[in-house]
Amino acid sequence: MTRSVIDPITRIEGHLRVEMEVDSHGIVSDAWVSGGCFRGMELVVQDRTPEDAAQIVERICGVCPVSHAHASSIAGDKAYGITISNKARIVRNLIEGAQFLHSNILWLYNLAALDYVNPLNALNANIPDTYELAQAVGTSMNTDFYALAEKLTKFAENGQLSIFSGNWFGADEGTAYTMTPEADLICTAHYLEALKMQARASEVSALLGGKMPHVMTIIPGGCMWVPTEQKLDDLKAMCEEIRTWCNETLLQDTLVLAQFYGDALNWGKGCGRYVAWGVFEGPKWPYANYEEQMRNRYLPMGVIDENFKVTSVQESSITEYMGHSWYKGSETYTSPYFVTEPDFTSYDVNDRYSWVKCPAYDGRPMEAGSMARVFSAYLQGVDFVVDGVDTISDALGAQRGDLSAFQSTLGRTAIRQVETLYIADLMCQWVDDLMEAIKGGEEDYFKEPETITGSGTGFWEAPRGALYHHEDVKDGKITGYQIIIPSTWNLAPINADGVHGPLEQALIGIPVADIEMPINALRTVHSFDPCTACAVHVSQPSTGKHFETVTNPWGVK
Amino acid sequence: MENQAKIADFDSILESRGVTRRDFLGLCASIAAAAGLSQMAIPRIAHALEESVIGAKQGALYPVIWIEGASCTGCTESFAQIETPDVGAIVLDLISLNYSETLSAAAGHSVEEAKAQTIAAGNYILVYEGAVLKAFEGNALRVAGEVGTSALVEAAESANAVVALGSCAVNGGWCAAHPNPAQAMGVQQYLEEVGVEATVVNVPGCPANPEWLMSILVDVVVMKDVSLLLDRLNSENKPDDIFGQTIHDNCERRGHFENGEFVYKFGSEEEAKGYCLYPLGCRGPQTKSNCGVVLWNNRRSWCVQAGAPCIGCCEANPANPGDNWVQVNTPFYKRMRDLRIGDWLVQPTVIGVGLTAIVAACLVVHGFGMKLTGRMDGGAPFEKIRKWDAKHPEKSIGKYDLTPEERQALAEKDCGHAVSLDETRGGQS
Repeated sequence: MTRSVIDPITRIEGHLRVEMEVDSHGIVSDAWVSGGCFRGMELVVQDRTPEDAAQIVERICGVCPVSHAHASSIAGDKAYGITISNKARIVRNLIEGAQFLHSNILWLYNLAALDYVNPLNALNANIPDTYELAQAVGTSMNTDFYALAEKLTKFAENGQLSIFSGNWFGADEGTAYTMTPEADLICTAHYLEALKMQARASEVSALLGGKMPHVMTIIPGGCMWVPTEQKLDDLKAMCEEIRTWCNETLLQDTLVLAQFYGDALNWGKGCGRYVAWGVFEGPKWPYANYEEQMRNRYLPMGVIDENFKVTSVQESSITEYMGHSWYKGSETYTSPYFVTEPDFTSYDVNDRYSWVKCPAYDGRPMEAGSMARVFSAYLQGVDFVVDGVDTISDALGAQRGDLSAFQSTLGRTAIRQVETLYIADLMCQWVDDLMEAIKGGEEDYFKEPETITGSGTGFWEAPRGALYHHEDVKDGKITGYQIIIPSTWNLAPINADGVHGPLEQALIGIPVADIEMPINALRTVHSFDPCTACAVHVSQPSTGKHFETVTNPWGVK
Repeated sequence: MENQAKIADFDSILESRGVTRRDFLGLCASIAAAAGLSQMAIPRIAHALEESVIGAKQGALYPVIWIEGASCTGCTESFAQIETPDVGAIVLDLISLNYSETLSAAAGHSVEEAKAQTIAAGNYILVYEGAVLKAFEGNALRVAGEVGTSALVEAAESANAVVALGSCAVNGGWCAAHPNPAQAMGVQQYLEEVGVEATVVNVPGCPANPEWLMSILVDVVVMKDVSLLLDRLNSENKPDDIFGQTIHDNCERRGHFENGEFVYKFGSEEEAKGYCLYPLGCRGPQTKSNCGVVLWNNRRSWCVQAGAPCIGCCEANPANPGDNWVQVNTPFYKRMRDLRIGDWLVQPTVIGVGLTAIVAACLVVHGFGMKLTGRMDGGAPFEKIRKWDAKHPEKSIGKYDLTPEERQALAEKDCGHAVSLDETRGGQS
């Protein structure tokens, strides 16, 4: 028995530590996941307006800010009793979709891929063979492989390793990275193309939201952006460019990875139960009630049990426990009424070891994320998703419809591309829908509230999974705010019954040949695309009184 | 790699200091014991100190350490959106980004080694993103088994310059907003408090615009002269060329402010016309930044262009976390801020209504003034001949006596000097 620790986990958002017990056969027998940073967002939005809250809570995360602004605005819509206009719905979907594309592309190529791709090995590639391979697997050849090889050679000759400093390319005595130099060169080209393409997707968010990260135009009541002809053509052209690149590149590269790393289909399952609150409001807007709204989203809501049975979400089934986290007490609270007060003790995996709390649905841990959304859409018959998942099943030699084939590190990594392609396609469709709506001269983009007291819940999805914002508003001011973030589900510590969280469960059973460089653990962590800064949250103002007088009430200097 | 420090080099360094290899391994054992590590860990530590994991310690690329404190990764994300050059080119051709929690291939102790070796090799800059947290003796932020503040101090002490990137790093940002439960503050103030002497460059913004950081890299990395950077700093250590003028000074909607043409409702027709967002709370007049000039995301847009009032995210006083942009500017979409005395809060509605009336009256008067001086449509005609041209006919490049045909011909030739096609505006150029 020996311990293997990765701290910090890189190529994620935020601060995360993974500690594992590795047995004499080199298999992880126990695991603890620890979120390292506490900021206290819910306390900051207390006593501010729902409109302010949408802007402030978005700053939880610089990778998925749109989802937070959006979920908060949905909570605000509900609290105010506003049904946003159809045009505002489409604009919001477009901003959200652009962020999903940005995030999914960045995650696959720039965060996760370096667990599989060794750009330094690409130096040994034979260029004509590289072209031949790219053609054979049908992946894109936008990059001049000769020029790229030359660039990498120059980089290597200089000798400074830059982002490859301290890399694990030599892990497991040089057997961890199994791709051929030619495949490495293709994927390195796509790593660099993806950096540009994720920025292109953000440019769409910026067109509609002013800037990205932290878009400015989503607000309770609708949106601030108003389309003009000058902007619509840019929007359409950018969406089409991104779709073309995704279609030419994503699935093909995934199948290349699968050829070299098929063993990653054998471990990393996790808890096997999933939550998705659904994302991208549906086309038959508005809907009769919240449940209909969530069921009819382009990626629909679904709570999925271990037998792949789908049910609707019940808000009161969501609970939170903090007996293994750095907060006072060991109670379990029911949504939306959580009470927590931060209290660091010490890092002790037998007691409290994380700033992340432990959420549960029906008292059990649940996995959130792209795989949960794709499962939910597949099981509810969303055509595009069914086709995409079946295509990957065929390529992996799995039986169509057997979703258990995806319950692994590689499966989780692969299935996300179906979602990316679906959204890339939808974006183009939504631009057309927006133009139709403009021609129809429908109602405004923004509605003023008629009442400013109420409660609302924003059930939504960030790229990393199910996202929940709840606010109580009295006379236009927030009296209580609660957030449950996707990675809080995935990075949960041990629960009250002693059951590990989803990522901890996924880590248990993976092979670790080299405790210094547990590369399979890193691959598994990245398959979840964790986001730790946002995973940590509290509620209920602390009792400490701060006396502070503001002398200049106008804010104008 | 040719430039990599080899074991032989390392032995000779040890020798020159009168240390044998055996002494060295003994020293490693005592370090390991002090750190509570088992005997098993000794080879790893020795290995770490001997071998370079960062490749050549200096070279054509400028070493950079990028630490995330209590951050949302938004400033890294923002930097990843940069174009010409894009971020791929920057990390391969311009800087050696030896430590970045978002981009580094390495993880865990390996990436920490890379950081330690970069610090030991010296001649690097530190980019620090996110707030410094002091709550729970610094345990509100834990990285690599340590409190976050020690990582900052360690990397800042030997850095050529420390860039506090984003409003959180400048003074805590939103994390420091009331009630500031994590005791967030900025880098400059923290380093002063603990007595670390460092050149801190403050670059606020939520997030910081990537072009702002790039302009710093141009001074330090491309032109290789840190004094160029220091010359740009104002009394708050912010580059004055970026943070010296208000958003309002350079706003594309400024003309409508002058004309008294305003947006009173989000997503409205006036918004589409590009009217001024002042009544919706725009903080452009009091926020110092060049957003409207530099623009965002491949120069695609910026907040005000998209119809969103400025919410003042560049407001950050490095000496006071209480003056963070959220505290100073909420409620964002109203023109007056809340009064807060302890946990007691009041929106000064009565005073506010009075103030709004005064502001509205002033704007109307301002608008009349614009109309009278002919700066609005339907006002007085513009001068037929520019006064300077009338005074210096021999130097004038304006053509004032063209027939409509000549005017058209000139316009089609797209000649160098400006020719107005608008008959009613006379011959102004």
